[in-house]
Amino acid sequence: MTDAVVLQSKNLAGERAPSRRPYLLAMIILAVLGATLPFWVTNSPFLLILASHAVVAAIVALSLDLLTGNTGLLSFGHAAWYGFGAYAAGLLSKNFSSEILVILPLTVMAASLTALAIGAILVRQIGKTFAILTLALSQIFYALVFVFSDRTGGEDGLQGVPIITAFGQTVASPEAWYWLLYGVLVASLAGALYLRTTPLGRAWLAIKENTERARFIGINTGALKLIAYVFSAGLASLAGALFVLFNGAVSPDVLHWFESGKILMYVVLGGVGTIVGPIFGAAAFTLTEHYVSSVTDAWLIYFGGLFVLIIIVAPGGLFGIAGSLYARLAAGRETRS
Amino acid sequence: MTLQINGLSRRFGGLKAVNDVTTSIADRAIHSIIGPNGAGKTTLFNLVTGALAPDAGRISFQGQDITGWTPERLAGIGIARTFQRTSIFKDLPVVENVALSIRSRRGMNRSLMRSAATERSIDVEARDILAWVGLSSKEHIRAGSLAHGFQRALDIAIGLALKPKIILMDEPLAGMSRGDRETVATLITRLREEMGLAIVVVEHDVGMVMRLSDRITVMQHGKVIAEGPPAAVREDEAVKNAYLHGNFAA
Ligand SMILES: Nc1ncnc2c1ncn2[C@@H]1O[C@H](COP(=O)(O)OP(=O)(O)O)[C@@H](O)[C@H]1O
Ligand SMILES: [Mg+2]
Repeated sequence: MTDAVVLQSKNLAGERAPSRRPYLLAMIILAVLGATLPFWVTNSPFLLILASHAVVAAIVALSLDLLTGNTGLLSFGHAAWYGFGAYAAGLLSKNFSSEILVILPLTVMAASLTALAIGAILVRQIGKTFAILTLALSQIFYALVFVFSDRTGGEDGLQGVPIITAFGQTVASPEAWYWLLYGVLVASLAGALYLRTTPLGRAWLAIKENTERARFIGINTGALKLIAYVFSAGLASLAGALFVLFNGAVSPDVLHWFESGKILMYVVLGGVGTIVGPIFGAAAFTLTEHYVSSVTDAWLIYFGGLFVLIIIVAPGGLFGIAGSLYARLAAGRETRS
Repeated sequence: MTLQINGLSRRFGGLKAVNDVTTSIADRAIHSIIGPNGAGKTTLFNLVTGALAPDAGRISFQGQDITGWTPERLAGIGIARTFQRTSIFKDLPVVENVALSIRSRRGMNRSLMRSAATERSIDVEARDILAWVGLSSKEHIRAGSLAHGFQRALDIAIGLALKPKIILMDEPLAGMSRGDRETVATLITRLREEMGLAIVVVEHDVGMVMRLSDRITVMQHGKVIAEGPPAAVREDEAVKNAYLHGNFAA
């Protein structure tokens, strides 16, 4: 182990941390590429739809990292809130209003209030118990879809979601949808990055790192975990709502434990707690899943293997690998010059 | 009296780890708790700081009954502690360890506001406290990379940032070199002289305890077997027996 790891460069002459400029530049380029994607794939509309699915996956991955990356609480059932959002928004659009500015706030509010009530019990549990209870919760939601199958469509899924409107204008074109989803992703990312810098975000990290110490400096760890849980559930429900409105239908699969496993994989693949990483994890997973599953039925086996490999050789995820590669390159340059 | 403990008990299964303890800690006192391993000293700290709930007995602080309060609530009224096994935020920079404590004291834990001016004032305060415990120029090091003695000092700094009225330190000198022990001993005296704190210390180095303390409580098998100023405790027969095979005479 190194004796002293210098985290910030100011005031410490000679021990400069690698510059953040190339990193920022890469992010800006990627963000611009993402925003202009509809212009690059004009002759293959399917790619744009695939990209839209990837963006939805990225939002839900970000939502889980809000919880796990900030407070260390591990959820095995995050699909519960994704599915909640999808069904709530689907039902609202069919029975109440097709205006997205009505559906989304109502859905997120309903999910947040439900998460507040359920989370109040969940966050008192630690570690494994919490993880298992989140799984149980998602199974309950899953079962509820079948119990109320006359409203939810049961096994057939919720069909016939109407084309929605925004400010009274219909939103139907794949480009419009892509930009809408992408806009939500960028806004959520900005929000999550901002949170990290606030006193609340700092206190979350303290809880993640040493919950006991955090309590003894007066941090109400239960309340702060609950806030993270509600934020996380709210954003996941937003992703679910966008998904059903974009897709026009939803099946109970979105609430299946397998969906929860996938969301967790996005985060682990991208790097827990890195905020940006899970977005790339989700995008990489969605694209690979699509292409690999069309080649072989055994794709799940490969993913399982990849997952195990990542946890063993690169617990920091893709983002962690990129970060350490960059740090090593930068260090190499400095010693040579 | 700053802290009053009355008939406090806590058992683990059949073991009475703390058994009917009554004592009090005076304002601005350096009050040591000694006793062999397993005497119940850490359990007593856990009861007083809210980590454990007592089975019986009452605790009051400055006249207010605080029995059964949570650690976060106790921290809020000025009861701080350090841990037998150093407890810090290892992956965060040294200065952030202390800043977390300051923000918490200022009631900012749920704040979504990011104010550069506030963060600057927190940074200044944190650096002050770090200088105070001898950690100047180490502000931006990852806390877990500090040497053992410095991690202990940081644990104390995190507690001090709460501006407590009383601080309970569980074996702050354990595993330290002679020189480091002197440094921490001096620090403890200064806490009382310059900050006006009451300090409760669990410590095995009896020579050090005799020199530092105003008052000593001796525990054995969960019970208080003697209490008084150092000179009286040194002559106590029960204490001599308890330490017959120990290093009490050292
Ligand atoms: N959480 C616990 N569960 C069960 N037994 C415990 C627990 N904490 C302490 N004990 C027991 O209580 C007794 C007192 O322990 P402790 O307070 O740590 O003593 P000291 O700090 O004086 O060495 C010991 O016998 C210890 O094994
Ligand atoms: Mg102990």
